[in-house]
This record gives sequence, C-alpha cells and structure tokens, in this order.
Amino acid sequence: MTVKRQYTLPYCNLMLEGLSADINNPLSPLTMLMNVECRLPGVTDITLTGGREFLDSLVMAVSRYGQQLLSGVPRPGVTAQTPPPLVDLKPGDGQYHHLIVRQQALEEPLTDANALAPLDVKLTTVQFYDLMEAVDQLLADTQTLPDLTAEFQTVSRRQVRPEEPIAKRAAPAALGAAALAAAGLALFFVPPPEFEPTRSNGEANTPAETAPAPVEAGTEPEDNSVEPTPKPVETEAEPEGNSAETTPAPVEVEAESSESSGDEANREEDATRDSDSVAGAEPVELPTIATKISDGDRIRALNQSLYDRLLDELAPISNTEALAYRVRLTEAGDVVGYEAISDAARNLAQETPIPSLVSTVSEADEQADFRVVFTETGVLEVSPWDGWPQ
Amino acid sequence: MPVDSPPSFELPLIFNTLTTPELPSQECPRRARTQIDLLLLAIEALDLGGSEAMLAAARDLGLDKVIKGRVNLWLLRSTNPMRRYSQRQPMALDEAKALVAIIGNLARRLTVLVRQLLIGGQQLREKQLSFDHHLRLADYLTRFRTHFRARMNPGRAGVIAYSTDEKLDELAMQLLEQLLLCSGVLGTQRLWSSLFDGEVV
Repeated sequence: MTVKRQYTLPYCNLMLEGLSADINNPLSPLTMLMNVECRLPGVTDITLTGGREFLDSLVMAVSRYGQQLLSGVPRPGVTAQTPPPLVDLKPGDGQYHHLIVRQQALEEPLTDANALAPLDVKLTTVQFYDLMEAVDQLLADTQTLPDLTAEFQTVSRRQVRPEEPIAKRAAPAALGAAALAAAGLALFFVPPPEFEPTRSNGEANTPAETAPAPVEAGTEPEDNSVEPTPKPVETEAEPEGNSAETTPAPVEVEAESSESSGDEANREEDATRDSDSVAGAEPVELPTIATKISDGDRIRALNQSLYDRLLDELAPISNTEALAYRVRLTEAGDVVGYEAISDAARNLAQETPIPSLVSTVSEADEQADFRVVFTETGVLEVSPWDGWPQ
Repeated sequence: MPVDSPPSFELPLIFNTLTTPELPSQECPRRARTQIDLLLLAIEALDLGGSEAMLAAARDLGLDKVIKGRVNLWLLRSTNPMRRYSQRQPMALDEAKALVAIIGNLARRLTVLVRQLLIGGQQLREKQLSFDHHLRLADYLTRFRTHFRARMNPGRAGVIAYSTDEKLDELAMQLLEQLLLCSGVLGTQRLWSSLFDGEVV
C-alpha cells in the first residue's frame, strides 16, 4: 500500500511517498521510500524530486547550513576528491542563501552528456527556515522513516579555518622573537655582573688566577689607590679579618697600617729575627716605608712580576685557611722583606715561595707593599697593599 | 501506569536531548556565553516582559533547580564577557543547557512575530528602504540598541565593533534570524550544537 507523508510549511512542501510496512495500520512507518518531492511555493515553480539519496543529501546540507547560520563558524568545504553532494547550501549576497541541487535525469546512468546544470534556488532566511523546519519535522517524526534521525555534528577546533591570514597571526610571535633577539644583542655588550664575595668565604671563592686581585677589583679599587687613606686599609682589612679570625691581634696591626703596634708577640719575634733578616727567610715586621712608589704603572708592573715569580716557585702548601702576607718590594722589584698577617701564615711561611725571593737591598730605595694571599684551595692572589692605583 | 518512583529532580528531561560536547574544559566557551546572552537580549527587545517570561519559562521547563531566580539569571547572563559588569566566574554546561532550553522555548512562542519582522525587513531591503518604514521592526531595533548600549561595556573590543546604529541593527537582524532558526522542533538542539562549533576537541 502506498503511503504519502507530507510536511507543509508556508514556503516549503516536503512530500514522501513509499510503501507502508503494515497495510492495515495507516500510521506504520515506511519500509521503502519511493519518491521524495520538495516544492518551494512562492520561491520557485520547480519541484525538486529524488530518491533516498536526494533526501539524505538534503537533510545533511540543511543541517549543516542551519548550524553554520547559528554559529557563524563556516564548515570546511568538501574536498576535491569527494564528488559534490546532490544538495548543497551556500551563503549568497546580502541576506540570501543559495540552494544548489544537482538533478539527474531519471532512469538513466549519470554521464557528462545527460547531466543537467545544477539548479540554484535563492532563498531568504525565512524560506530557508521553512525548508529546515520541514526537514526537522521529518527527522523528529518517528512514524515515517525511523532510521532517519537528526545528527548534530559540531565543527571541531582543528577544522575551523583561521579567520586571519597566517602572516597576520604570526606577526605577534615574530615581534616577540625579534624583541628577544634585540634584547639579547643589547645585553651581550653589558659585562656580566662581578661576583662580590661574601664575608664568610670570600677568599675561597675568588678566582684569582686570572685576575691578580679580584677582591680589590670588586670594591672599586681605582678610587682608593693613590692616597693611602684609612679607607683602602679598611677595605683590605675585611678579608684579613677573615683569614685571621683565630688571631685577632695581627689584624689590628694591619688595620692601623703601622709597624709600631703594641702586639708583644710580634715584637718579640721581630727582635729575635732581626738578626736573621739579612737572610730574609723569616717573616718580619716591616717598618714604615720612607718613600713610597707613587707611579701607578710601576706598581702594576711590580704586582705582575711578583705574581709571576711567586707562581713559578709555587708548591702545594699544607694550609687549611688562607695565608696572607705583606710583601715589600723595591722599585727594581727586589723583595725587601715580608710580614705574616696571621699566626698560621707565620708558621707556614717557609712553605711559601716568598722566603726564597727575599734579598738584601738598601732601605733608601722607593718601596711598595703588596698583599699576597695563598688560599686554602691553592689559589695565589697578589695585589697592591694600598689598593690598585688609578 | 502507576509510577513507582518520584520523578528525578536531578536533571530535567530536556537535558537528555542536549548532549554534552567534548570540550577541553567543562566550562561554557566564551563565544557560547556571548551568544546566549545576546539571544536573550534580542528576546527582551522583542517582548517587553521578556525577562519575566524567561523566569516563567524556567519554571515551566522544570529548570528552577538550575536557574534559581532573578539574581541567578542575571549572574549567568553576566558571564558574557561583553557585559558592563561581566562576571569572571564560569558558566557550567548545565546552566548553559538551561538557558538554551529557555531560548528555544521563548523563540517558539515568538515565531509568528519573528517571521513577520524578518519578512518585513526583507521587503524593505529589496526596495532599498530603511528599517524605519516598518513600525514594529523599528521598535525592535530601537529597543535592542538601547538594551545593548545600557548593558555592554563600551570599552571592550567586542563592543566597539558595534559602535554605530547600523552595526547594531545588523547584529539585531542577525539575532532575529538565529531566533527563528532555533524556534523549530529541533531548534534547541541545533542551537546547542552550534554553540560549540570550533570549540570541541
């Protein structure tokens, strides 16, 4: 028994014709769909007809386009490989929509010769709504084609075509990368920050092999060098206090920068070793320099030569703390004498290369004091006693 | 048939038709929040008692558990980032479902009016006349502009795009078309599905 089902809306008339499953029950679903007719009264006189394939394509196109109108997100178009669907919907100029239907001649295989030009029906939004509503009513109707149900497909994130061209989207990232590169280039010329040793382990960490005296370099030695004001002495005294923590007395001596200190122990030693001082092997307490070398270049050269000579002779020392000495040089670079800053330094003086450098010279020469430190890690540091000259 | 167990108050029936999308996070995406609020704004512009109708529809649909009154509705609508007093709190998917169901319900009631306005607008466009010639349509557009300007933050980039009357009229007409599309039998589901276009993983 042939059954007709009709979905009527003002601008759309969808009619399905088919065979009913149960002859006696007029409400039984269609088992076989024979014909689909879609009229669009008020829009076009053409009746769109087709079979199941046409219906499926119509449902798919209407569902997709309806969702696109609601969300504004365009669906990815069909690829070139797949054949174009029988029914397609595309947005048109202004508020119109284009229903494109590729009809084929009935009962004939589809060839290039008999293929008809696709129909293009222009719909307003209300007309499209009626078409969509007819389809929706069919989809919601469980008594016509129960196997045909609504499928809602959401466009996934990957399928969305970017709204802006790649060049425009890449611009912020490129700008960021360029700014980073520029900043990197600019910072390349900024010297790395100098490490300022802390009080507790200052001398242990200073990499003194390359720079003769990084400790002084960190404390702006340029300013303090020329005049022997108490200020440079204070800066010198900081690491000294550190190395001489066990024996505070010699520190006092250094801090006052004078050989006539009230330290009895030092004086005793001074007295006993005065006789040996010609040999120069023992550390002595040095008298005040009569005439100091004031030439900065000379001081630097002496510092360098002392460092080189000490380094040549340097052998491993069995010290557990930094050993600091005050070494006096003449203008010619001869070592007049040296003074141990701490007890440990005094005890281990013979292990250092300093005694072997001492020679007898006249006191009349211009002289300069240098600070020599052997750290417990075996690093040698040499720097002018009064700080670096300007 | 006797009913053995009381109906479940957990989730209203209408939620069964709205499938939960596979989102990266279980919050309503930004575009969806904006779209829901704008559609509700269009309903308010169409119907003077729109905001009351929304609460009534919530009761009719058994959504009182999700939309707990006027303040709750206002808070939910304020999750629209365009709003002047935009709420940073997220909108749960259930709350979005409830609002979508309300939109579908109210849109169905307003179908006749929306059709009239759209057909009238189409005719005016074909004759290249302004919308002012259609009294009811001009009324809707004016009210929509007033609502929009009163409630949206003019500093937001999304709102600056609608600074002129023409742009706002365009938006209002677009929302009218969308209201029509979600007034059908499957309109609520279509609207729900469209909210997550380009958001699902």
